[in-house]
Amino acid sequence: MSSANEATVIHVDNTTGKAPVTAQPPPAAAPTAPVQQQQRKSGGVPFLLRGGADGFRRCMAFVDLLLRIVAFGPTLAAAIATATSNETLSVFTEHFEFRARFDDFPTFTFFVAANAIAAGYLVLSLPFSVVGIIRPKATVVRLLLLIGDTVMVVLVTAAASAAAAIVYVAHEGNMRANWVPICMNFHGFCERTSGSVVASFLAVLVFILLVLLSACAIRRRPC
Amino acid sequence: MSTSEAATVLPVYDVAPGQGEPSKAPGAAAPSAPPAAPAAATKTTARSFPMRLFHRSDRGSRCMAFLDFLLRIAAFGPLLAAAIATGTSDETLSVFTEFYQFRARFDDFPAFLFLLVASAVAAGYLVLSLPFSAVIVLRPQTTILRFLLLVSDTIVLALLTAAAAAATAIVALAHNGNERANWVPICMQFHGFCQRTSGAVVASFLSVFIFVLLVVLAAFAIRKR
Repeated sequence: MSSANEATVIHVDNTTGKAPVTAQPPPAAAPTAPVQQQQRKSGGVPFLLRGGADGFRRCMAFVDLLLRIVAFGPTLAAAIATATSNETLSVFTEHFEFRARFDDFPTFTFFVAANAIAAGYLVLSLPFSVVGIIRPKATVVRLLLLIGDTVMVVLVTAAASAAAAIVYVAHEGNMRANWVPICMNFHGFCERTSGSVVASFLAVLVFILLVLLSACAIRRRPC
Repeated sequence: MSTSEAATVLPVYDVAPGQGEPSKAPGAAAPSAPPAAPAAATKTTARSFPMRLFHRSDRGSRCMAFLDFLLRIAAFGPLLAAAIATGTSDETLSVFTEFYQFRARFDDFPAFLFLLVASAVAAGYLVLSLPFSAVIVLRPQTTILRFLLLVSDTIVLALLTAAAAAATAIVALAHNGNERANWVPICMQFHGFCQRTSGAVVASFLSVFIFVLLVVLAAFAIRKR
């Protein structure tokens, strides 16, 4: 609806989320040159720092993407470190076995599997997070990510906490149940699994932050 | 976007802060029924009734808030049962020797102590969050309250899951033992202790599932409004 006489451009900033009356809505798809020109007229605000509800959601989605990349490292490291933990002592007798591996403990098997699933989920959810950056109004994507992140919080917390319980028994033993602390003998195995548990708990913290971020970005009004 | 010929003036009312010139497209020319003005006017003028109770458009979110309230009451039972069952688990065998101890109690295992504390904390949290949930049922417009409940639900969910999982690991160890580490399965002797703690673990996992439902429901309700 451009006039022929004057170049009367009305900058409609979509603060309240209502559709602008003019026929020049900022395209919600991948921003191309016209949008950037329009924004350059309004001061050259960078893509992620634009104001309004959409800019806020974009910023949250970008932080969401960064957090996913950050959480991928600890989960993968925990899975790999536990899966490759294998220690054999140099003493051999007939009655006592001096080898410790992760699959001697069903809890560590669950730990490896859960962290591998979490790492794979993080990789698969990266495109969804990118879609959340490009389209700030798509709350369905954020809702899906929130549901997946909540399930992952439960899964990784359960795995890390169960492994922590076994690591604690391996370190301290249990007087009442006559469970000897095996870390006295298996130093390397214990160190490796303890480090994996710590890394997994870091990933749990990041997952919880992801849930809170998605919930904040779903709100109609920016929190 | 006003042209000079036709009197199609669209007064644009939403102005970004710092963008000045709200009178760029004034209604100076004969406004031939601008469609945007009455719509904007009715949206900006608030209803005269101060508190919107039982408005028809609130039905969906009110229903979800009521479901949230019910789920909280449903999650409280298993948690209280888990806490009490773990706290009263104490078994003494009738055999006594000098070298072997034949009594098992929950505080011999740090994981069960953690389960007791976390279940009690989560049960207390549910009781404390019931009034907030009731306020959301009465006044479904509040998204900030829903968001706060979602934040605290997530934190308590993580705590409860950690406690339940740690107790599960110890219960599995007590049932099956471990050949490689020479850990004997103590459930062979302590039947009652094992049954009670296993039941407590199952109940706390049920509450974990209900907490997950609470978080997802809150997210849906936030999106709806």
